[in-house]
Amino acid sequence: MFRRQRWKEAGTAYTLLSPTLFVLLLFVIGPILFAIYLSFHKVQLLGTASFQFVGFDNFTRILDDTRAKIALWNTAKYVAIVVPTQTMLALVLAATLNAGLKGEKFFRIVYFLPTLTSSAVLTLIFMWMYNQNGLVNHVLKFLGLPTYNWLGDPSVALNAIMIMNIWSTAPFFMVIYLAALQDIPDSLYEAAELDGANAWHKFWYVTVPYLKPVTSFVIIMGLIGTFQLFDQSYIFSGGSGGPNNATLTVVLLIYQYAFKSLGTMGYAAALAFALAIVILLATWLQRKFSKEESLY
Amino acid sequence: MKKKQWFAVGMSTLLFGSVLAGCGGEEKTAKNEEKSEKKEEQVEVTIAGWGGNPMEQKLLKQTLDEFEKTYPNIKVKHEVISDQYMDVIKTRLIGGEGPDVFYLDAFEAPAMIGTGVLEPLDDYVTEDFDINDFEKPLLDAFKGPDGKIYGFPKDYSTLALFYNKKMFAEAGLDVPKTWDELREAAKKLTKGTEVYGFGAAPELARLYYIAESKGGKVVTDNKASFADPKVVEALQPIVDMRLKDKSAAQPSEVGAGWGGEMFGQQKAAMVIEGNWAIPFLQETFPNTEFGTAEVPTIDGKKGTMAYTVAYVMNKDSQKKEAAWKLISFLTGKEGMKIWTSKGFALPTRKSVAAELGYDKDELRAALVAGAPYATVWQNGTNLPIIMNNFNNQFVSAFLGEQPLDEALKKAQDIANKEIEAK
Repeated sequence: MFRRQRWKEAGTAYTLLSPTLFVLLLFVIGPILFAIYLSFHKVQLLGTASFQFVGFDNFTRILDDTRAKIALWNTAKYVAIVVPTQTMLALVLAATLNAGLKGEKFFRIVYFLPTLTSSAVLTLIFMWMYNQNGLVNHVLKFLGLPTYNWLGDPSVALNAIMIMNIWSTAPFFMVIYLAALQDIPDSLYEAAELDGANAWHKFWYVTVPYLKPVTSFVIIMGLIGTFQLFDQSYIFSGGSGGPNNATLTVVLLIYQYAFKSLGTMGYAAALAFALAIVILLATWLQRKFSKEESLY
Repeated sequence: MKKKQWFAVGMSTLLFGSVLAGCGGEEKTAKNEEKSEKKEEQVEVTIAGWGGNPMEQKLLKQTLDEFEKTYPNIKVKHEVISDQYMDVIKTRLIGGEGPDVFYLDAFEAPAMIGTGVLEPLDDYVTEDFDINDFEKPLLDAFKGPDGKIYGFPKDYSTLALFYNKKMFAEAGLDVPKTWDELREAAKKLTKGTEVYGFGAAPELARLYYIAESKGGKVVTDNKASFADPKVVEALQPIVDMRLKDKSAAQPSEVGAGWGGEMFGQQKAAMVIEGNWAIPFLQETFPNTEFGTAEVPTIDGKKGTMAYTVAYVMNKDSQKKEAAWKLISFLTGKEGMKIWTSKGFALPTRKSVAAELGYDKDELRAALVAGAPYATVWQNGTNLPIIMNNFNNQFVSAFLGEQPLDEALKKAQDIANKEIEAK
């Protein structure tokens, strides 16, 4: 009797879930499985579609692909610099906004504005500012600092994208930090004050540890986001990943193989699969190191 | 409780059902077909292309209207794919949702023909279509390895030298006839980083004819061969202009999207651009006074590029007869005359070109003059890979990151490795 009741409940639950499940299967799980299938085949989709099973050929080819290595190196460099910087910046911004200053709301809005702009538009605006006679160089010249060929010079092109991306995504994480900051009980700070803590102590020994789960979330989202860098480098380099492969990222390379040359769709899928594994690893490492009971 | 549960189940099935029904929508189309059958076989042909400027769109609309008047039982549905045209077309063809007729750039043609998604058009051609009227190199660009024709070129453009009249007058210079003269003129026209003498486009699509001017080959047997010393020698002057003379720059360095824009903003005194730049400059930068001339010669030899686009037919089209009628009208004498009448593109038919008299046009004569000796931008199925690697490394040589010969060697090796792995 009891079991029947449970079955019935489960049945109802699944019926209610069915539209969502259907959509998930069709648009999320299905494509993932198909991509995995593709990665083990040599695929020609156009015309008479042909799928030729090649085993791990596509994966071994990655090891032999100079451009794939460059792309992975660029992406890793990008992640290693952008994620810590934007997390730190977001935390500092949030802490200053939470300090109860005058005009706090105004600054909150101003800081958040970059997040609202589409990244493609942002990139185009930055390309204007970055050009040789552009705003950035004018400011640098005014301050007596050296100017750069931001877009053309391979050694700075990626940095230019980094700066832009940190500026535009830090505010988003700042809002998440802000929400978490509101949650810290005042009594903790009071207790710290009684123990003789100054403002810096309070930030470092109360705020930062309390925000640890949120930091973990911010870093993981940052990792995923930065590993998938595509549009900025695509627009910067006109789709080629140049100059001298300086702005070539893994996703841009996947795009090139999938759409720009015919018959390499399977290889592109293998690259995408490899990237997914790299992201998974990075996320797993992050969680291993932060060692907190997860909230999600 | 029980009642509520059943209500919920009922609701969700209903929702689910309506989602499914939304996907189908077969009933509606069935009805439409019934209707059209009554009106003596009304057919609708879809045609897809990229968007041009508003004037160009108007012209195409006018041409299509004329076609609908001539064939009242065919309706044309025009679809504009504004961005990433080839990606969209390929995806749609794979999904079986391709348009009946669409634009195809000569550059992409060999690979597309190779996949067999295009309908060969030879069997449709009739006597009065007058196939010999087309400029031969432009028609050949759309021939498959089997010798069949897969598309008819709708128009083309060559490159010409655009020069700023005012800047030339101020510097007291004549329009350069050779590349050496151009280099000298560029030096005199440069004013620091404000105005560059020459706006260069460091990409293979624009440099191909220069690269081959000393006898080297960019592509040999469908593989990259541009590290050839003869190619390096031919391209070196362009790099030198940027690095030694400091008289050349690429558009992105001055914040422009392309050469025409750089020229219009008066940040370059000379650019080598095509027909598309003429209406653009006249509309967007009416204050920039410019003239055109044939591309300067190298070692006394003339050279330029030609870019062409054809109308092709989808092999899976259900309305091939109607689709051919559309293609033959658009590339026929009458349709082409309307389409090219305003000078946005040059006619690929000799008779139309003669009738419209662009060879006597002040701005377009230089472009028309280039047609007989132009190199058509196309070479085998691997050109996209070759181009991508060339552009990537050439830019870095252009900017002085590495010597040109090393850059091209590296690019060639990577390109050929990619081609072999295919």
